[in-house]
Amino acid sequence: MSAPPSPEWMERYRERVNADPEMQVIGDWFSLDFKLSFEGDSWLIPVRRGRIAEIVHRPRFDRPARFTVSAPMRVWNKFIRPDPEPLYHDFFAMLMRVPEFEIDGDSLAAMQNARALHRMMNILKTMEPLDGRS
Amino acid sequence: MADLEPVVGRYLNLESGGRSYRIFYEEAGTGRPLICLHTAGADSRQFRHVLNDPEITDRFRVLAFDLPFHGRSNPPDGWWLEKYRLTTNVYLGLIRDFWRALGLERPVVMGCSMGGAIVLKVAADHQDEIAGIVGLESTAFAEGRDNDFLHHPAIHGGELAACYTYGLNGPDSPEEGCRENWWYYSQSGPGVYKGDVWYYCEDWDAREDIKRIDTDRCKVSLLTGEYDYSATPEMTRQAADSIPGCRFTVMRGIGHFPMVENYGLFRGYLLEELASMV
Repeated sequence: MSAPPSPEWMERYRERVNADPEMQVIGDWFSLDFKLSFEGDSWLIPVRRGRIAEIVHRPRFDRPARFTVSAPMRVWNKFIRPDPEPLYHDFFAMLMRVPEFEIDGDSLAAMQNARALHRMMNILKTMEPLDGRS
Repeated sequence: MADLEPVVGRYLNLESGGRSYRIFYEEAGTGRPLICLHTAGADSRQFRHVLNDPEITDRFRVLAFDLPFHGRSNPPDGWWLEKYRLTTNVYLGLIRDFWRALGLERPVVMGCSMGGAIVLKVAADHQDEIAGIVGLESTAFAEGRDNDFLHHPAIHGGELAACYTYGLNGPDSPEEGCRENWWYYSQSGPGVYKGDVWYYCEDWDAREDIKRIDTDRCKVSLLTGEYDYSATPEMTRQAADSIPGCRFTVMRGIGHFPMVENYGLFRGYLLEELASMV
């Protein structure tokens, strides 16, 4: 077990996404708000033209999200690490094979932006492990 | 001096199952024929490294063809009046008619993913005509891949198919190989990947057929990547367990597209299996 991301960790994620050269190529049409939920602790990720505009911890009801990507920490911990085990090594792998990894909400919007969303998930995968292991 | 590859592309006019096809294929090398079958929604470019590997082409005549609707093989006449769905019978017939039309004697048939599936049926039904099969990411039965977003008017199907399959690469495979395969996937026609997936997860079931394979007559090698979450090593193992004398290896560090995502690592596994075929 480990703690969900800290505000500092999420801010580093925002910086990494916004500095990513590929997001600058593919992100022009990716403008929506979605949530990342770490064992129920959620963060709103408002994206504008492929850049994260802000990070909002535990958004209130007046900040709706088009969809939420959620999983328990033990699943996120297997994904966010440099040597992921099979089935936990990719966003789409987990969607297919890890039942606790879910997209709720407007999954059509998620798949319309599959390339940029997938890239953002792959950047998330490269963040510092949340369980302190590397 | 132009830096030409030894690979040559040709078109074959082929009758199969009562329909006429114009089939594109690439070939290189001399020796026993080695027919290569691409994955769902892709084309024979996935085998460019095999076609360019002199350690293989010195001993094998490598031929990789595009299925109809894929790459440079046109759909058959009247395609606009039918929903594209590949079937086991059509797929099997096309492969058989391809080697018969070219007069290929005792070929080795190698396929990946849906190609790795159908080679099991090739071995079951034509074991006296071929030398053996190399199944990459093979399963005798697979379900649960289809979804409506794969062919949807509000989604770029090429981008989705390319992203959907990108995760099937091993996490440490060289990025250029994975991206190359992404590019191939992004180019399939509308609904083609979905039509191939329909075959793979709705029509395909060879669990009984593979019990007929006699490995004394037709050699069987199955290679599956450790990181393949579509055709998992366990799924291939289940097929291998039904084929006495079958060789089965889990390829460490590799995903679902060994011949394109990480050829440098894959070729060691492949050379060993090809050596067992001759």
